[in-house]
Order: sequence, then structure tokens, then C-alpha cells
Amino acid sequence: MSLEYLKKSIWVFHLNTGSCNACDIEVLDVLTPYFDAERFGVKLVVSPRHADAILLTGPITYESLPKVVKAIESAPRPRIIIALGSCACGGGIWYDTYSTIGGVPELLKILKEHNIEVDGVYYVPGCPVRPESIIYAIGLFKGLVEKKVKRKVKKAGF
Amino acid sequence: MSEKSLGKKLGLFKILIIAKKAGRVTRKYPFEKPLVTDEFRGKIEIDEKECIGCGACANACPPNALKLIKGENTFILQYFIGRCIYCWRCIDVCPTNAIKGTREFELATPDLNDLYESVVHDVIKCRECSKPIMTVKAKDYIISKVSVSENYIDLDPDCRKKHFLSSIEKRFSGGIE
Repeated sequence: MSLEYLKKSIWVFHLNTGSCNACDIEVLDVLTPYFDAERFGVKLVVSPRHADAILLTGPITYESLPKVVKAIESAPRPRIIIALGSCACGGGIWYDTYSTIGGVPELLKILKEHNIEVDGVYYVPGCPVRPESIIYAIGLFKGLVEKKVKRKVKKAGF
Repeated sequence: MSEKSLGKKLGLFKILIIAKKAGRVTRKYPFEKPLVTDEFRGKIEIDEKECIGCGACANACPPNALKLIKGENTFILQYFIGRCIYCWRCIDVCPTNAIKGTREFELATPDLNDLYESVVHDVIKCRECSKPIMTVKAKDYIISKVSVSENYIDLDPDCRKKHFLSSIEKRFSGGIE
């Protein structure tokens, strides 16, 4: 799944959905001159209506769920979701607690119920994500680097 | 007014001089090697030849990224990278050192299925109630450590309890039913 429009400058709306702020600090770090994500045209915007991508950090608490759905709904099509960090990717250590829904995979089911379409989801694991890991993800959108992880099923042997 | 604007222009010039002294600080990262230290903890790698499927790592894992899924004919040790917090506790508890840590962090993907890794194990069944008990390799490992266990290892814990109780019964009743 490669989306052609992602090769242009992506404007990102950053949304904290109950994370511990470690991932948010790394997002800030990526925007500093040392890593400088703006050389790829990535820019944080203040409104989801300006955004191409919604950047979610955190395991999505029930408190933040209506706001997250609203923000995704108000982003113009085509829109993508970027799940940043272990919490957003699969719930992290909060995957089965009472107050979180457990990450973006669960959110996609809820969005499907409400008929809100999303054109692509990118997962960036890490706890917290390294700044290089975020830049690698940006490179993946642009087609600068190749995908490294792959599903593996091994048979135990001697 | 003119002095002020001149000062401003000079100020800009000064900044340029300072910027030239500092040089370029931006990393060229996707096109060069990343800075990864020895202390950095990345994704884990499970060696399928060493792994015995005992489930010690699944017990120790704080977010249950490692799971031992117990089926009828196979036990599957499933590793979900998307939930892993890279604490490397599994490496500490693994009895056979099957799990090794890597420095890998470039794990971004558009497909969630890429983040799953699994090791499929064969299973031994109880000789009486034919319930799955443990993996074949775990059985071999236990026998190599405790050779007496060979007599009762292929029994379900419940069946083992029944055997024990019936043997006590026999002892106290003198073999009379």
C-alpha cells in the first residue's frame, strides 16, 4: 500500500490520546535542527482541517475517544492515521485496562461502525519511539527507504 | 532610524557568522548510519532451534507482547512487536537463552500483520485424558534436567493427582476396593 500523495509535503496534526508524553517529546525532538523533519516537508499544524495525517500517541482512553473520532472526521480526505509508539500500535502495557480501548486497531473498528473512512494507517512501534524511527517512517512514506519488518512464522526444530 | 536598521542588518550578519562557525548540525539520517549505542534495546529475536516453548517469557512480559497460545495440537509462541516495550525481561528469564536482543528499531510499517512473529511448537498429550500438556521440546528439557520425571511427565496434572490419590487409597485400604 503506497499512497502517491504522501510523497508530497505531509502536514501532520498531532493528537495526544492519553500517552505518557515520552512519544510527544520525541516528536518535538524530530522537529529540532538536529533531526529536522521539515527537510522532508513535514510540518505540525494546529487544526485537523489543515492536516493530511493524524498523528496519534497513547492508548486512546475512553475520555479522549470522542475527541479523536471528531478530529479524524474533520480531517479532509484522503487522510491517514499514524500510530506512534507501542501504546498506539497495540495498546502497550495498557492494552486491557478498564479505561483504554487498546490502541489504533480497536479504534479502526469503532471508526468502521461510524462509517468514517481512513485511507491508510501507518504503525511506528517503539517505547518511546526513537527520533530516527520517526524519520525512518517519514522515509517510508516518501519511498526513500524500504520496509524491513515482515511477518515470520517459524517451526520449532532442533 | 537609519542607525537602527543598520544595526539590525549588522545583527543579521553576526548571526550568519555564528551559524558558519557552528556548521551543519542536522543528521542526514535515512542516508547515513544511525547513532545507536550498546545500551540501546531494540526488538528481540527468538531462535526457533533453541526455544522450548515453556512460556517463561510470556509470564514475565509486562504488556503480554509475548503470548503462548495453547491449541489442541500446537502451542504457538506469538510475539507482537507493536505492543513490546523493549524491557528485555524475556531475555533474563529464558532458561535456554533462545531470545536474543537486537539493536533494530526501524519497524515502521503500513500493515499490522508485519508486526507479528510466531514460533509453532508440537505438543505432547496426556496418556489418559489426551489433553495437551506441554511442548515436545519442553518435555525433553525437563527429562534432561530431572531424569526421575520420565515416569509421570506424560500425565496431565489432574490425572497425576488422581494417580496419587488412588495409590494412597490402596495403601490404606490394603488393596481392597
